[in-house]
Amino acid sequence: MARKPGTKTQAKRSATGRPAAKKPAAGKPAAKKPAAGKPAAKKPAARKPAAKKPAARKPAGGKTGRLKSVAGKAASRFSILVCIDGSEASYRALRYAVRIGSGTDADLTLLYVRPIDQGMRTGGLQISVVRENLLDWGLELPGMRSLKKGRELLAEIGWLDKDWEAEFAHADVTGDPLGDNAIVYSSPGGRSVVLRLLVAPSVAYGILDECELGQFDLVVAAASANEEEAGPGFISSEVAARIAREHSGTVLVTRELEESHGHLVCISPLGGGSLRGAQKDAEIASRCACPVYLLSVAKTKAGVKGAEKAVAAARVAIEKVGVRPSGEKVLVGDPVSTIVEEGKGYSVIVLSRYRRRTGWRQIFSNSIAFKVLARADNSVMITR
Amino acid sequence: MHPTVRARLDRSLGHAAQRRRAPVVRGFGSFLWEKKWFFIALAVGALLMHLPPPEGLDQRGLIVLSMSVVAIILFVMEPVPLPTVALMIVLGQVVLLGIDSSSVARSLMSDSVLFIMGSLMLAVAIVKQKLDKRIAYWIVQVTGTKTANVCIGISVVSGVLASFIGEHTVAAMMLPVAITLISLTSEDVKKVRGLAAVLLFSISYGCSIAGIGTPSGGARNAIMIGYWKEFFYDPTNPETAKYIIDYLTWMLYCYPIFLIQLPFVTLILLYTFKPERKDISRAVVKLRKQIRADGPMKSADWVSIATFTCVLIGWLGFSDTLGLGTVAIFGAVAFLVIGLVRWEDVNSGVNWGVVLLYAAAISLGVQMKDSGAALWVANSFLNFLEPLGVDGGLPLWTAISVLTTGVTNTMSNGAAVAVLGPITLKMAIASGESPILIGFITAISSAFAYLTVIGTPACTIVYASGYLKTTDFLVVGYRMVIMSTILLIISASLYWPLIGV
Repeated sequence: MARKPGTKTQAKRSATGRPAAKKPAAGKPAAKKPAAGKPAAKKPAARKPAAKKPAARKPAGGKTGRLKSVAGKAASRFSILVCIDGSEASYRALRYAVRIGSGTDADLTLLYVRPIDQGMRTGGLQISVVRENLLDWGLELPGMRSLKKGRELLAEIGWLDKDWEAEFAHADVTGDPLGDNAIVYSSPGGRSVVLRLLVAPSVAYGILDECELGQFDLVVAAASANEEEAGPGFISSEVAARIAREHSGTVLVTRELEESHGHLVCISPLGGGSLRGAQKDAEIASRCACPVYLLSVAKTKAGVKGAEKAVAAARVAIEKVGVRPSGEKVLVGDPVSTIVEEGKGYSVIVLSRYRRRTGWRQIFSNSIAFKVLARADNSVMITR
Repeated sequence: MHPTVRARLDRSLGHAAQRRRAPVVRGFGSFLWEKKWFFIALAVGALLMHLPPPEGLDQRGLIVLSMSVVAIILFVMEPVPLPTVALMIVLGQVVLLGIDSSSVARSLMSDSVLFIMGSLMLAVAIVKQKLDKRIAYWIVQVTGTKTANVCIGISVVSGVLASFIGEHTVAAMMLPVAITLISLTSEDVKKVRGLAAVLLFSISYGCSIAGIGTPSGGARNAIMIGYWKEFFYDPTNPETAKYIIDYLTWMLYCYPIFLIQLPFVTLILLYTFKPERKDISRAVVKLRKQIRADGPMKSADWVSIATFTCVLIGWLGFSDTLGLGTVAIFGAVAFLVIGLVRWEDVNSGVNWGVVLLYAAAISLGVQMKDSGAALWVANSFLNFLEPLGVDGGLPLWTAISVLTTGVTNTMSNGAAVAVLGPITLKMAIASGESPILIGFITAISSAFAYLTVIGTPACTIVYASGYLKTTDFLVVGYRMVIMSTILLIISASLYWPLIGV
């Protein structure tokens, strides 16, 4: 059933909070067929559909044009996007994101990307026919299960309360019976949690789209080593690395994340962007009260002075945002292997990178940040 | 909702319609990178075309061969939507081979293509009848609550239905049954991993092994029937009438092979995945209650069963005179005229690109034969196998089965038969084997795509449930491949000679 693209937004305040929160994810979320179990389907759209907004639809010439067409990001609120694929690693990443987002000014978005069904692979029968059949039986689709689990985790750790208002939004995607869906939980204090289920050509595309359009302060993606525990929206190490390479904002790629060992901020002996990256990380680290350590690696002994200078400058930069470094180090050696080795004892290795690398340019990339990202066993954050 | 959150959400939802077309992050470099296999395929094709033709192959044959290589790379790597490959095959025939465009257009339509089109429309019509709940009720009534029995019931019912109405139809109908049983057993996926795998693979492999049973079981069968007729039937020579394989003849050769595979499927699945629960009575009771709520069969249900029975009778009795495709189209027309399905549902439920793809692949296959490229590849393959002692008989059958199994696991089984069919049929001629026997081995082996998610439509559909991992297909798939290949070769050596191959 091909539907024209459009968006719907509905709101309903639940007496208990829980039913309104639960039901959208349990059945067909589209507001087309109002029925028991469908969230707030009877209430007319409270706002003008977003699809009509020219800012969101206006095509731009190049990638920078597209990015410019995206409305400016929120001035004061701290926003985190957590990519969920149903794996334990993604829920560990969610826990860490909650820690970073502690405070009343933070919004959390849980994103599950469902790759577009390949009709060609089912011998010519569109898989939407299958999905419609499943929805008619009242069965959940994989992404919904994973997002529900994320929501339960948030409730368990006390981030999401029963009295939060739940609002449901939907956009039709031609040829897909489920389309794009979101449930927004808003606290009386203004904090919000968004459960976002979207359909995209691939998991990486979907996440990158959401990153660029949402302009989040931080994107957290868990590189799942074990496909066994993830669903069709599996975020592999390659997908996570691609997000880090191609997104224009700050990305934290988590691997075996242990929360309490602090951030190792790597400073280039040349200073420059890495100082601003250090500042950015200090802001993030201060939110979760994580200790910050500074490291600069000089390739030769002759470069030690420059590295020490860079560390000193970084110290001044992060002190400006009210964070005192818990330790400083200057080492000599190959930057990539030294950082990877030294970083093993920390929760997160933080590196800065100004330009993103897309397409064929990644072949010629000589970035230390991306090399560390590829080689490190623990979590890496690329700040921009 | 905070205005900032709302603005962010509106931007994202507003982009939903565009996301299918192009991601936000995109530039020329990204475009080149994403399409690298398209350009590599074109470069390989151009290089091959400019090489001097090898011995036994003329320039035209070389061009057709180059086009086939390009098509195979694009089928496997999918840098562009697959129907684009079909359109490129059409363009290639007109521009590179200099064939008149009307002739190319005519070559795209045949009874096999009509059959594919008709059976897809029938598939949507049947799924829309919601007979799945009735079938589920019947299965659990007969099998009881033991997990092993339910698996056998699902495999048998999926298989028997899929052998007539196509595996995608049955997989689409049976998937909710299996998922309901799994979710009613436990909400925690990890606690029922084995059970989920056994139930879901019972559907997909039940369908896959059954697809070989009748010509209407899959597009690949109709394609092979079309090739036999195109390559070997001569209306002026009555001896070639044996190459017109009708519905019943096909069943006589292949249905027993499906039936003997059935018990092995359940055994392999139970041995591989070891379900956590030996008895799923709680889920079965709940399912029964859920289905009973729908009430008794309605008149529309009976009408749809009667309509499909007429189609089945048409295939069994008139396919040799009317053609499989005409009967399938008749069925689709009947469903539409009676009003059991809306055209809008049929239109959106069928991926018409698949029809175009098969049409173009068959057209290219015919060019492979006409240009001598198929014979050249067949001879080269035989020359390659000869030093290994594989030049005919059982070793050659096994080699063809293994080759087809390898190819079908990387592309759709219909496309595999469309590409390999002309080559294996020419190999039969070159090695003195029966083209009917080799054709059956090729068509049946193309159903052994158990190893990958994309191998068969049924595998793709059950994977969409989210309960299975890609590695599950490998773990159980290789056992299935070994079992099916052994049973096929035994049937070819012992059973087929009895019925006159």
